[in-house]
Amino acid sequence: MAEQLREPVVDQIYSLNLGPQHPSTHGVLRVLLDLDGEFIIKADPIIGYGHRGHEKMGENRTYKQFMPNSSRMDYLSGMLFNHGFALAVEKLSGIEVPERAKYIRTICAEMNRISSHLLWFGTYVMDLGGFTPFLYAFDDREQILDILDSVSGSRLTYSYCRFGGVCKDVGTDFVDRTRAFVKRLLSRFPDYHNLVTKNIIFIHRTRGVGVVTQEQARQFGVTGPNLRATGIEYDVRKAEPYEIYDRFDFNVPVGSKGDALDRYNVRLEEMVQSCRIIEQALDQMPKGDYHNESAAFKVRPPKGEVYFAVESARGQTGYYLVSDGSAFPYRCHIRVPSFGNLHVLTDVLKGTLVADAISILGSIDVVIPEIDR
Amino acid sequence: MDNSQRVQPVEPVIKFALLEDVLNLARANSLWPMTFGLACCAIEMMAAGASRFDLDRFGAGVFRPSPRQSDLMIVAGTISKKMAPAIQMLWDQMPNPKWCIAMGNCAISGGPFEYDGQYAIVPGAHLLVPVDIFVPGCPPRPEGLIQGFLALEDKITKGEDRNILRRFHRKGGNS
Amino acid sequence: MAKKDDILQKLREMLAEDAIRMDEAYKAGVAFSAQVPLDKVRDVAAAFKDGGFYLESVTVLDFQDTVELVYHMNAHEPKSRVSFRALCGHDQPAPTVSDIFATAEWQEREIHEFFGNPFTGNTDLRRLLLPEDADYYPLKKTFGKVHAYVKREEIYG
Repeated sequence: MAEQLREPVVDQIYSLNLGPQHPSTHGVLRVLLDLDGEFIIKADPIIGYGHRGHEKMGENRTYKQFMPNSSRMDYLSGMLFNHGFALAVEKLSGIEVPERAKYIRTICAEMNRISSHLLWFGTYVMDLGGFTPFLYAFDDREQILDILDSVSGSRLTYSYCRFGGVCKDVGTDFVDRTRAFVKRLLSRFPDYHNLVTKNIIFIHRTRGVGVVTQEQARQFGVTGPNLRATGIEYDVRKAEPYEIYDRFDFNVPVGSKGDALDRYNVRLEEMVQSCRIIEQALDQMPKGDYHNESAAFKVRPPKGEVYFAVESARGQTGYYLVSDGSAFPYRCHIRVPSFGNLHVLTDVLKGTLVADAISILGSIDVVIPEIDR
Repeated sequence: MDNSQRVQPVEPVIKFALLEDVLNLARANSLWPMTFGLACCAIEMMAAGASRFDLDRFGAGVFRPSPRQSDLMIVAGTISKKMAPAIQMLWDQMPNPKWCIAMGNCAISGGPFEYDGQYAIVPGAHLLVPVDIFVPGCPPRPEGLIQGFLALEDKITKGEDRNILRRFHRKGGNS
Repeated sequence: MAKKDDILQKLREMLAEDAIRMDEAYKAGVAFSAQVPLDKVRDVAAAFKDGGFYLESVTVLDFQDTVELVYHMNAHEPKSRVSFRALCGHDQPAPTVSDIFATAEWQEREIHEFFGNPFTGNTDLRRLLLPEDADYYPLKKTFGKVHAYVKREEIYG
């Protein structure tokens, strides 16, 4: 489709503000567009409207007190961010985690990944104009939130992981409900494929739109499903297996062209793979301790640093913690995936139409408070 | 929370009598919110509008993207100092009669981000716009937001002192 | 040969003997960490780019006596994260790598607005996360509430 676009006429540039209050910008993103008619000549994302000072708070909060902050950065993958932070501090301090806790954390993390992708699916198709899948996706998502609510007490911003395990044990009803949920979700995918994936309007709005090349991905530090859609098979769960991901048998879906349709297919397939991981984890979960309390009573890691990366729903999240031996981190830097994912748009949006820009913004799946920290 | 710093609402110039009651009933049952999600609470607002906790049955399911077409602003999320001028501009762009719900702990008082040394946020939406209803929670459950809607409907139809939540406060207090 | 072995070879040629600290057990999350003088940062970054690495994150540690720039590089291969670090002074300009890795443009903007170090060669040093008219540098240890402000050797020895 790109070949049919004409060359823009450069002496009639019009500056337009997209956001920060806009239904499709997924948070408070403002993109300053230089337009020639409907064609975008330059796109300049202006961020910072959700800046809350997490990194400064990280230096003013003890490690235990920072756990709620971690889930509020990317609130759609709150459990994954919690998990990453707990793992980073455990690695820094040398705290052991009991087996059962590892399985519980992995199951909750994968369920969080599914709920994040479901929400992305619903809002992306809503951005393109289709309202119905939003309601179906949120219905499935509510089931996940009910299960996670019953174990952690919160629907969205969990602080469920503790250093050395989790804060509350799970019962047999958790196992039964999760199994029933996975079965139900897998039976819903044919509906989603019939409603959206095979829909000719959806295909026209996503095929060939917003192509991210492998070189662009490497230059801008793109990670996650956006990277895998370009053809590079890199998933932190396989490249640097943390916790117990090396015990599970799952595939990493990879695209080929790097357009919005590939990103969509990669995410839907990732949901199926997450269901596989959950089923295997539920079968293998042992009985035992859920929290190594004595080891994590006083969290004063020895002097040093750690960089721990986990695969969150949007890509690779890195926690860079520098400890000076006290209860407060000396530096708490979080490398968030949406940073690179949004930055690549300065290159990708050049020469596209404004309507395509909405489709591209949606398919990239950014969460702005994560970038703004 | 410091009440002396609260922004006071603008009083209407023309007051009708019985017609006002009928109009208030109509306004309360068709509150059109503006999509104004800033952070995590936005997701619970979306969930409140979705299929399980349907806001449409209260007449409030039509989220308008433009402030000119809406009469309710739900400040959902932390207000950063960079965003504060935009909030004021959006509030000014909304036509009267308009109401505001401050959803979540961040919009009420800065929430979990308010600490001695915070440089980046505005601790509370009441410092920028006149807030009618405060819905606490981090994030509040969608049922909590719906209770906020019902309290606002009560406040619109029956007056400042008579909404669901205030019925439990003693009259003459300073809350 | 894995990319990280190739680049280790190259760095051994470029830098001094004891500049590279290996971490076989991946204890700090990196395969090795190199201490680089400030004027060689661009050469090292170019070597990484030729080796097929991408810049994962750039950040700064603020100590009492110095400021340390920490670059984390990664390749799309298992367990290939490496880091290199450079010391510079408070508010001292540092060389940019934004023409080598495009992501550094925004990362350096963020470092400049939070720590105050400008980057020579980065054409766009506007505020990224803070309001445009902010004149403070929040993450400096001399700003706001701080719990610890130590010299570099107290942490890294």
